[in-house]
Amino acid sequence: MPLPEPLRKQISELVTTHRVVLFMKGNRRAPQCGFSAQVVQILDELGPAYETVDVLSSPALRDGIKEFSEWPTIPQLYVGGRFVGGCDIVREMHAGGELQKLLGVTVAEPKTPAITLSPAAAKAFEDARAEAGGDPLRLSVGPAFQYELFFGPREPGDLEVESAGIEVLVDRGSATRADGLRIDYVEGPNGGFKIDNPNEPPRVRQLSAGELATMLGEGKIELFDVRPESERAIAKIAAARALDAAGQAHLAALDRQAPIAVHCHHGVRSQAAAEHLVREGFKTVYNLKGGIDAWSLSVDPSVPRY
Amino acid sequence: MSNHPTDFQGDVITALREAIESKIPACTAEVTGGGGHFSIVATSPEFAGKSMLESQRMVYGAISHLMRGDMAPVHAVDSLKTKTP
Repeated sequence: MPLPEPLRKQISELVTTHRVVLFMKGNRRAPQCGFSAQVVQILDELGPAYETVDVLSSPALRDGIKEFSEWPTIPQLYVGGRFVGGCDIVREMHAGGELQKLLGVTVAEPKTPAITLSPAAAKAFEDARAEAGGDPLRLSVGPAFQYELFFGPREPGDLEVESAGIEVLVDRGSATRADGLRIDYVEGPNGGFKIDNPNEPPRVRQLSAGELATMLGEGKIELFDVRPESERAIAKIAAARALDAAGQAHLAALDRQAPIAVHCHHGVRSQAAAEHLVREGFKTVYNLKGGIDAWSLSVDPSVPRY
Repeated sequence: MSNHPTDFQGDVITALREAIESKIPACTAEVTGGGGHFSIVATSPEFAGKSMLESQRMVYGAISHLMRGDMAPVHAVDSLKTKTP
């Protein structure tokens, strides 16, 4: 498939007119593919001015850029008229600090983050490492606080942290987001590694009906029902407070650090309500996954389903 | 994992592995995935001294016929790693 000359010229102009150009699916506000979104996040974080070209706007361009770069996938990043790579390469260059150099952004030398492993977490890693074949433990924290915790080889530019006798390697891109992070390990069916990161902006967390029942039993959380009275008349969770005028007043008086949970019928309306509470300043907000329906199915079958 | 329609007949994983191993000298390839999305680990002495871009381009070049067009059996390579033995 030869590239038509007018199209070659058009692409060539795009990549030489602008210093940083990202060919992607969608635009920087609304990426239409996860790989494009990852590169946008990285570029936004580094903050150089960049142009995006939406390849979905033109099938000819979408095929043409693949021919032009001799690269079969989207996104594609160009800097100074030269093809840099796709998502994988951009991510790796960002983690290693090469992308920052290429873009000419001065990023403060990241300081080695403080990371604390609980004794239980250290033991779990120790046990798992023997099975994993001896590679060191690596932690990466993505721009949207996606965590990856795995055993993998050492990479150039890694920052080394030690806690509880375990060495943890952190790539440079993750360092600032990982500072102050604590890792614990909990046994049991809802167990696993628990990450507590003070840098993470508050967000709505999901609770299963079983987890919520446990927390309510321990008096650790307050539960609110966002459904209207007409639905509460059909079925209700005894511990849940209605968000009527009295409930609203009670909620407004709560400490913003206090853990609160919300539920509705299936968990969709309450998710929206929970996101609203986060915007209102509540730091620890949970949504009951599956709503009162899940509660009826797995905690209290005496609650009618409807 | 999303599903992508394709008119390709046969085992895509085998097709990917054979294409890479036949076109890159002394290369072994591990391919996993399905539903149009694949992960590839390719190991060859040819990658020595080459940048990640150059190495990945060799692999993409070897499998480009499987990635071309809307009905391509390979919609995306989610992860591509190149190593030297």
